[in-house]
Amino acid sequence: MRFKRFLQTVPMKLWLILTAVVLFAFFSNDFGLVDIQKTAIILAAGIDKTDEGFSVTAQIAVPKGSDRTTGGTSSVEIQAEGETVSDCISLIFSKTGWVPKLVFCDLIVLGEDAVKEEDIISHLNYFLRNDYMPDSCLLAVCEGKAGELISSTSAIDDASSLAIEKLFSEAAVKSGRVLTNTLKDFAIDYYGVSKCSYLPYVRMEEQEGGQNDSQTAAGGSGSSGGSGGSGGEKQQIYSAEQTALFKEGRMVGLLPQEQTLALSLLEGNVFTGTFNAKDGTMPVTLTVVRNEGGVKLDSAHAPKAELSLSVTVRLCCRGVTAPVEDIASDSVSPKILESAKKTLTGYVQTLWDMGKESGCDIFGLTRMLYRSSLKKYEEWKDVLLSAVTPVIETEVLSMK
Amino acid sequence: MNKISARQLLFFLACVAPVGKIVLLPARLADTSKNDLLFPLLAAYLLQAAAVFCTLLVAKRGMSFAELLENTFGRVVSKILLTVFALFLLFAGLLPVLEQKVMVQSVFYDTLPSLVAFAPYFLFAVYVLSKPLASHGRVWDILAPLAIFGLAGILVLSAASADFSALAPVGAAGQKGFFEGTMSAMAWFFDAALLLPLLGKFDYEKGLAWKGTLCYLAGGAAVLLFTAIFWGIFQETAPNQLFAFTVTSRYFPGVTTLGRIDYLFIFALALVMAFYVTLPLQGSIECALEAYGRPRYLPTLLAIGVTAVFLTLDVLLDYRFTEVLDGVTKWAFWVMPLFSVVIPPLLLLLRRRRRAV
Amino acid sequence: MGSSLYSMPMRLRMTRAERADAPIGFGRQSTSRRGAKELSYTRMTLNYLIPPYPAFMSVRIKAGRGRHTPIMKNVSADLERSKEALKKMLPADDFLTFEFASPKLSFCVLFADPLTDKDLLGEQVIRPLRQYTGAPRAEEVLKALSSPEAKTEKSLEKLAEEVLIGNPVVLFSDMDMGVVVGTKKIPVRAIAEPPTDVTLKGPREGFIEDFKTNTALIRRRLKTGELKIDTTDVGRRSSTTVAVCYLEGTAPKATVEAVKQKLQGIDIDIIPDSSYLTHFLASRPYSLVKQVGTTEKPDIFCAKLAEGRVGLIVDGSPIALTVPYLLIEDFQSSEDYFVPPYRATFTRLLRLFALLVAIYLPAFYVSAQLFKLQLFPVKLLLTIAGSIRDIPFSPSLEMLLVLLVLEVLNEASIRMPKYVGMALSVVGALVLGETAVSAGFVSTPAIIIIAFSGIGLYAVPNLIEQTSVLRLAMLLVAGSVGTYGVLLATAFVILYLVTTENFSAPLVAPFSPLRGRDLRDSLIKYNLGSLEMRPQTLKSPNRRRLS
Repeated sequence: MRFKRFLQTVPMKLWLILTAVVLFAFFSNDFGLVDIQKTAIILAAGIDKTDEGFSVTAQIAVPKGSDRTTGGTSSVEIQAEGETVSDCISLIFSKTGWVPKLVFCDLIVLGEDAVKEEDIISHLNYFLRNDYMPDSCLLAVCEGKAGELISSTSAIDDASSLAIEKLFSEAAVKSGRVLTNTLKDFAIDYYGVSKCSYLPYVRMEEQEGGQNDSQTAAGGSGSSGGSGGSGGEKQQIYSAEQTALFKEGRMVGLLPQEQTLALSLLEGNVFTGTFNAKDGTMPVTLTVVRNEGGVKLDSAHAPKAELSLSVTVRLCCRGVTAPVEDIASDSVSPKILESAKKTLTGYVQTLWDMGKESGCDIFGLTRMLYRSSLKKYEEWKDVLLSAVTPVIETEVLSMK
Repeated sequence: MNKISARQLLFFLACVAPVGKIVLLPARLADTSKNDLLFPLLAAYLLQAAAVFCTLLVAKRGMSFAELLENTFGRVVSKILLTVFALFLLFAGLLPVLEQKVMVQSVFYDTLPSLVAFAPYFLFAVYVLSKPLASHGRVWDILAPLAIFGLAGILVLSAASADFSALAPVGAAGQKGFFEGTMSAMAWFFDAALLLPLLGKFDYEKGLAWKGTLCYLAGGAAVLLFTAIFWGIFQETAPNQLFAFTVTSRYFPGVTTLGRIDYLFIFALALVMAFYVTLPLQGSIECALEAYGRPRYLPTLLAIGVTAVFLTLDVLLDYRFTEVLDGVTKWAFWVMPLFSVVIPPLLLLLRRRRRAV
Repeated sequence: MGSSLYSMPMRLRMTRAERADAPIGFGRQSTSRRGAKELSYTRMTLNYLIPPYPAFMSVRIKAGRGRHTPIMKNVSADLERSKEALKKMLPADDFLTFEFASPKLSFCVLFADPLTDKDLLGEQVIRPLRQYTGAPRAEEVLKALSSPEAKTEKSLEKLAEEVLIGNPVVLFSDMDMGVVVGTKKIPVRAIAEPPTDVTLKGPREGFIEDFKTNTALIRRRLKTGELKIDTTDVGRRSSTTVAVCYLEGTAPKATVEAVKQKLQGIDIDIIPDSSYLTHFLASRPYSLVKQVGTTEKPDIFCAKLAEGRVGLIVDGSPIALTVPYLLIEDFQSSEDYFVPPYRATFTRLLRLFALLVAIYLPAFYVSAQLFKLQLFPVKLLLTIAGSIRDIPFSPSLEMLLVLLVLEVLNEASIRMPKYVGMALSVVGALVLGETAVSAGFVSTPAIIIIAFSGIGLYAVPNLIEQTSVLRLAMLLVAGSVGTYGVLLATAFVILYLVTTENFSAPLVAPFSPLRGRDLRDSLIKYNLGSLEMRPQTLKSPNRRRLS
């Protein structure tokens, strides 16, 4: 009887115990959790190669406090050196006491030295393995040191990373002036059959102007924390119109702006991008209002690559004086169209040549061959780039 | 509440059962079968669907699993067989529980949490396991729309990011890839075995076997589509993407501006999974109860006991998940097909008429 | 039996034959249980229930517990002795006696001062009796009275009961019979719109505390003989009248019987309000989950009866109860049936959304800050991080404090006199809100979150008791284990809800078990023309309601 009564009260007792446990857990608040106040929210990371290993510069967002009256993002850059990227990240933790969280890291920039000498997957390995890091983050190469780029003061945004990310916006991609890539897509290309990929190449230019209030603590391995804004620091603007070509994780070439545009056009991505053609001897600027492009591989006999692009353009700017009815018209004269076609064909041809020269399968021909025929792939995979002949088809139409 | 309706059973087969197959399985298949990952998955599904069909045909006899065995083999043998089957279900439940744990640690936290973070699951498990098995039927009514919502949401958000041409060329992984993939996949396929403890708890309706099999295949089609998208998104890096359903939707453009809205769907599926994972354990308890009777407090005690065992295993195997996964998929790969593919058709051979008492 | 309808002694037990002779609606069942405890069901139908029906039908002094044992059982011809006996049974100061005489007889009126309409007593009883010159015979005395509600009674105990409920008792010299006159006057408030169920469109009447008025409001809407109102008394001391209302042939018999049985099983001293009954009617009495429907509006009450539910009206309570209760009921408002269906569907979904947000928003906000920052978009995260930078508390503790403040404000504003309300608003909004933020005690996002959650909770006002507790529980779990804890708690709640049944109706029907046709009036509201069947879940023997 007593036992029965005891059993009847068990659920209530269990509830009480459970409530007590939950309350204890709630107030003790410690399951090794790292809450927002102990966290370094890394917005971007710059990776450079050093003699000992790596140097990682992390741009960390700094909350502005409850009295904030203006928008924007304050940031501080922390640099650390170590044998591996992971070492560097750990060092950032030990220097700042903030647990580095990469969940919001949207940009990884690799320094020029880091991409030319070694397979960059060894640098990116840490990020690829990290379950707590989104592999959708943008990947870029920069001229010079990535640390300097990340630590630079942007003329257009509070944080350099946010300014750089603007270069990789959807609108920028549609302009055809930049080709972007993410960590995931780069890894897919790297581990895929072609083993080739590209990354945008970021340059930094000095811009005369006022000082920025961004705190910078870049420097040697021992530097940490937020020292005051370095007075008189020049503000920078960034560009990414060039594209770095990669083969087996190493940078093997650099596409200039024209080839970047050509590749964008071949991918069919361009809308409202512009390029120049000639009206006789005078330059004219044409705006792409429709773009279709594609690369096909015909592997029936000897492999043949068909690079086709079709653009519909409107006249954007003429370098000559023109009557008002001419300004009102969007149509492009056949002469200009012919010139545009010639220009674009030239761009594509140069692009092809650069790919062939560098050994980088820019167009993913190996992948196409692999997906179309395993047998042909086995036959051609090692000599494909040199054996394939390109057929370039360019069509430039005027907007009516 | 003592009976599961045919509709609830169909909900389970079509909506709940697929959820267990979109966590680690796609990455595992990507590892073994590369771009041919759909074929072993399809094979596993077809085998299991046949087993589900047989199990549902057995249900036509209106006998529980214990009655079926006892009817043919007698009381003692049936007790032994039920005990063995209960142990099998415990074994089958191990991988899903551990799989869920590592998923929770990765998806629900930004940094690796302590072991205690997963402990509340076992409290929940005790509560679920102490309820009658048939109460799952009511849960499935709720889980089915949740699963559809979650899976459809993830498919919609992910589909645009997938490059389906990456599934070509067919046969790249070869026969070896196919067989290894099928072997691996089998660790996640024991749904027919899950139905066996439910025998006698639902009334067979006309055509239920066909309907059930079709529902199961419909769920399978969703899993196949998801797996195709998964490969289309990650391609060669897919083996690295362990928790498939939590990663495919993050490339949706809206995520950048709105934040991880896809978590809404991920949480919905995780909720479904929390129940699904308890099902083998509950099946095991049901088998034990069928074998040894149902004194008043035994179900609760068994619920506590089974949970305690799994809690212990969870602690002991905390850093050995990969070994467990390898063990189940490479060494003990035959266990699941034996109990969930071979036994159901054999049950059709058992004595049809009830033995006179 | 009594000579008129209203003079019929309602509390008298009738034999089967008597019951057959009795006017329609007064056939009554009487059940003896545990000696002194006695319950009766009085069935009343349309024609005999238009008020004022017999007012002396409910309260009784029961033999046994806490009552006065009469010195003598019946009224004697000796006026003094009878008066003394009654006075001893009712010794309180507010039981008054008034003695007067006619040319031939002496009289004594005994009445409960606060419950008796003295004007009516003087007009209908004392004045005619002063002029009474007839013989001391009950029938003649009754004829002499101007009161339409009068009856004779011999038993002193029963007479005392009548005095207790407010009906004066007249004793006569030379007559061994008392006369009970129905001049009770219980203070009641006017029918008004219930504060908990305000509507823009549709009827605005609400139940009040008066039992008679409430049953009248129901009768006015259901003019059918199928409406049964079986009354019983519950509460050893309060003898509270409880009416079991249902539509015969529409409500399942099993449910009606189950309700009556549960009422019979109640052994409690007083029932001050209908909410007391919910504990006894629930299959899981200790559960947080609501298991009995409540409404203050007769139109809703009648609509529920028409669906096949059983309703309970409790004397002294403006809140009527209905069983079986389905969770979806509280997402339906009466207004939904007076507006176009797409609007009703939208508002129902909105209520669900608001409720989910109210419960989960604080929890997710806390768990996101503690365990899963990714739940925030990065810019929002930085704003939040900026706001909480100088806050001395952890995110979970901060949220708990703000939530407790909100609950305190809420509680105080409900109970506080209206003229202090303005001051409270100032204190709440300015001092506790803005100043606390400027002082750095709490952050602005926390206040926004709790404010939104607080508002959201009131989208489904009938579930506030449950949802506010659930919100707190979710917050505690979120602060302890994070998002996964919240998810498991949700799973727990789901399992709990789907396994809860009351009066054989699953709480979360029509979603689980799924009832396809019933979904037409769930979160989605079909056009009235499509709701031709009563809810399958309620197991009504008469399924079709629209032909």
